[in-house]
Amino acid sequence: MPNQNGKVYGLTILSPIIDDETAIPSHDLQIRNYLAKLPTDERSPFALAPATHLTRLVVMDDVIYVGMPACEEHLKSKYLIWESNCDGNLNTYLTGLAASIPEHLDAIWSHCVGYPGASNLQAFIDYMKACQLETTFFFAAVNDKSVTETLRALQTQRAVSDFIANHQGMDPARLQSDFNQFLTELNAKPTPRAGILTPYRDIKTGGRNE
Amino acid sequence: MSNINGKVYAMNVVTPMKPWKTWLLRALFFALWHIKPLQQDLINLSFIEFARWVIIPRRRFPFLAHGQAEEDLQYDYLLFFSNFNGTWNQYIDAFSSVLSRGLNLIWRWSEKFPGSVPITPFKEYIAQVQFDTDYYYTAYPYATANDLKAAHIVQASLDQLAQQANTANPQQFADAYLHFMLQVQAHLGNTGEAPLVS
Repeated sequence: MPNQNGKVYGLTILSPIIDDETAIPSHDLQIRNYLAKLPTDERSPFALAPATHLTRLVVMDDVIYVGMPACEEHLKSKYLIWESNCDGNLNTYLTGLAASIPEHLDAIWSHCVGYPGASNLQAFIDYMKACQLETTFFFAAVNDKSVTETLRALQTQRAVSDFIANHQGMDPARLQSDFNQFLTELNAKPTPRAGILTPYRDIKTGGRNE
Repeated sequence: MSNINGKVYAMNVVTPMKPWKTWLLRALFFALWHIKPLQQDLINLSFIEFARWVIIPRRRFPFLAHGQAEEDLQYDYLLFFSNFNGTWNQYIDAFSSVLSRGLNLIWRWSEKFPGSVPITPFKEYIAQVQFDTDYYYTAYPYATANDLKAAHIVQASLDQLAQQANTANPQQFADAYLHFMLQVQAHLGNTGEAPLVS
C-alpha cells in the first residue's frame, strides 16, 4: 500500500482548475493570490487542523516540453497539486480538515472543477478521492510517530538538554528529586503549537564541528 | 510563493515517459518498496524528511466532467515531490554523488534524462522540469530530519528512565541517569532558525 508508510499517509491530489475565459483574474491566478497571502507558521490552516506533518500546494500550469526528439504536448486543464504527509487514514484526515478549516478549503478549491464544498462532508471526501493519485513509492524518514508525538519529542529534547547542563556533578539524592520534579513539569506542559518557530537559544555545546 | 519553510525545501519535478517504460519503472519501485536494503542509500541521505514518486498514466489524469476537457496525452508522467533540509544545490550535489546509480535507474525512463553524472547537465535538467511551490507548510520548521530522529531517541530514553525514577534508590537512579546520558548525549543538538543561505 504505497500511500501508507508506517503510520504516515502520503496524500497526492490533482484537482483540475476551472477554465473560464470570462473569469478575471483567472481561477488559477485567484488560487495563487489566495495561497500567497496564507500564513505558513502557527497561523497556517494546516497548523489549526490536526495531523499534518508537511504539506504543499502547487499550481501546475502545464507539463514541460523537454526538447527534441521528445514530442511537445500540453494539458487541457491546469491542475492544483496538493501533496500532504499526514497521520492516520485518509477519511479521518479529510474529516479533520473539513471540520477545522472549511473556509480555507472552500476558498482554495472553489476554483476547481466539480468541488462540492466542505460543508457536505461525504461529497467533500468523495471529491478528494476522485482527484487522488496512488503514490508509487513513498519514503518517510520517521514513519511511526504522529505530529503530536513529534512536537512533544522536540520539546523533550530541548528540556533534557537544559536539565543535563544544569545538573552536572550533582549528588544522587538531589539529582533524583530534581529529575522527578522535572518530569512532572515536562508532562504538565502543553504540546507546542504546530508550525511555530522556536526561539533561538544561544547555547555552546563544544562539539567537534564547531 | 516559496519553496522553503524554515529548514525544509519543497521540490516538485514532473517528467514525461513513454507509456511502455512506466511498467519497468513500476517494477523497479515494487522491488525498492519490498526489499528494504535497497532503500539504504535513501535512508543514509538523512536530510530527506519525506519524498515520493507518483506515476500518472496518460489516461488517468483526474477527469470530473462538469465541462472539463479530457486530456489527450502521448506520455505518462512521473511526479517527484521531496521535502529536504538544505539548499537546492546541496541536495542535487548529494543525490548525484551518493545516489547516482539509483537516480539513473528511476529517471532513465524519462525523456531526455541526461544521467545524474556529470552534474552540470543533470542540474540543468532538474531546473528545466521543476515547478515552484505556491504554498508550503511544515509542523516543525525549526527541525531537520536528523533532529526528528534524535528527538524521538531522547524521548524513548527519557520514558525508560522515568520508569525507574520513583522506585530506585538514589545510587541506583544515578547509575541509570549516567546510562541515560550516554544514550542521549549524541542526540541533544540544538534546533532553531535555519541559517541564511543565498
